[in-house]
Amino acid sequence: MDKKFKILVFIKQVPDTDDIKWTENNTIQREGLDSIINPYDLSAIQTAVEIKKYRVKNAEIIAASMGPAQAEEALKQAIALGADRAFLLCDRKFSGSDTLATAYTLSRFVKEKEPDFNLIICGQQAIDGDTAQTPASMAEKLNIPHINGCKSIEELTDNSITAISETKTSISKIKAELPALLTIDAKGTYIQPRINDYIRSQDTKIITLTSGDISADKERTGYAGSPTYVKKAYRAMKQRKNTIIEENYIEAIKNEITSAGGGQT
Amino acid sequence: MTRILVFAEISGDKEPSDEIISYCMKNFQNAEINAAVFTTNNDTHRLSATGLDNLYLLINENFLNYSTEIYKKAAVDFLKTHEHDIVLIPATPSGRDLAPGIASALNAGLTADCTEISLDEDNLLNATRPTYGGKLMATILSKTTPQFATIRPGALKFSGFSGKENTKITEIYPEIDCSKLKTSIISYTKKQNITDWANAQIIVAGGRGLGSKENFDLIYKLCEKIDAQPAASRCAVELGWADAAIQIGQTGSSVSPKLYIAFGISGAMQHIVGIENADRIIAVNTDRNAPIMKISDVSIPADAVTVLKTLINEFYV
Repeated sequence: MDKKFKILVFIKQVPDTDDIKWTENNTIQREGLDSIINPYDLSAIQTAVEIKKYRVKNAEIIAASMGPAQAEEALKQAIALGADRAFLLCDRKFSGSDTLATAYTLSRFVKEKEPDFNLIICGQQAIDGDTAQTPASMAEKLNIPHINGCKSIEELTDNSITAISETKTSISKIKAELPALLTIDAKGTYIQPRINDYIRSQDTKIITLTSGDISADKERTGYAGSPTYVKKAYRAMKQRKNTIIEENYIEAIKNEITSAGGGQT
Repeated sequence: MTRILVFAEISGDKEPSDEIISYCMKNFQNAEINAAVFTTNNDTHRLSATGLDNLYLLINENFLNYSTEIYKKAAVDFLKTHEHDIVLIPATPSGRDLAPGIASALNAGLTADCTEISLDEDNLLNATRPTYGGKLMATILSKTTPQFATIRPGALKFSGFSGKENTKITEIYPEIDCSKLKTSIISYTKKQNITDWANAQIIVAGGRGLGSKENFDLIYKLCEKIDAQPAASRCAVELGWADAAIQIGQTGSSVSPKLYIAFGISGAMQHIVGIENADRIIAVNTDRNAPIMKISDVSIPADAVTVLKTLINEFYV
């Protein structure tokens, strides 16, 4: 049998940031916050599924996530969307990880469990942290090339990938040797689970891995392995004296425009 | 003395790194402010006369276009031999691509897309950034050196250079073994008409409340008449009414114009964080309870499209 073309997709379960509620002390009310798969990661899964369907005959999609036990739900969803199997990296030693510790932990998983991967696909960023740092940090740890903001794949062969990367300021066509890492911008439209995959997701056991299972150095994971820490956090808000103008507002706007130096009336 | 390094002009983007250098010169006067640029030649560089303590020219013909792999290796090697306490990188697309790889290679902490920076009593970098979709501000410190941060373009206001003399210029020639490269840039196109947020005095922005692409085009019309910069909310961009280049807010840009007028924008936190530095904010929205109506200087509960159309007729070109 041909060797499988292994695609690893890393996903993150995140709080639905559109639905955040505040406590009286202006801290985020964490209880009861809905958890969803980071939308960018849905696009990553979708890209993997498209590769399997249209580009590579013998592809296998492996989803993985680092998180608490409840992140198993997100991985089940990934299977329902087309992943073949899934791992949950779950250990108290992982909690409090910043992007460097996360990248280290994920890279340990790859090296220990799926070292013969061909491609890693990640969402470009997560909607809770918005740092967009973990994928590039992980690529460095794995010593593989990465292509950020992948818009489309032009060519995929056994040993290379050519992709169009689009950012706010540039469009480039990049060819990278495999194994490589791609990050995907949110596509805006998402695939739906197929019934068969949904049923399969309910029957598939998500394999849980601890720090020991991936031979992680405990000094490099979680709080201990995170060089950055939050000194303080506060609600973003700047108070302005708010005036409501119900009448003659056209005049009011015109005056504001003129005093800011714009236009001629 | 605290040594601060700015990776400047990555991908030719001058303004974002000028803002950082200017801010550091003004606010961190007891620190050494250095910059490193990737360049293809040793011609006199524009930053050599700005008042930096050190300007490092990293010179190689392969630096012509940004490449993660090539830039990363050169930056890591440079930082190993030229130690700094703090390394600041503009949070442009290339900067945000480059920074995590460098920090990871050095096993150092990195804070992403900061909108404020300061030094505390121990001269440690306090890097503040919006998180949770812009709803929470977090001030982040790093236990490792160098302390890395990427800085959001437009977040620190440019206020000139110190112009101090005696900038020491050092030429460095990183070696690149092209046979070992794993990536090749087949083509690279810089997008034209990159938005000039820094010089925009007035910004007129539209959101979902405008109802259609046709109505969104009224934003451009008004901008043309009053010499303003058009902008869009994330919703308007996702609906395909406007290009992502003019998106404001998280993953978009932060702006600081004299006047910001929002038409049909409800004001997701990420958008509000992006416009926080505007001197004046006017919001026009039929929904009195929209979040943006609460945080504006002036809120006008009216139909955004009607107001836009009326205003367009009020101004001559």
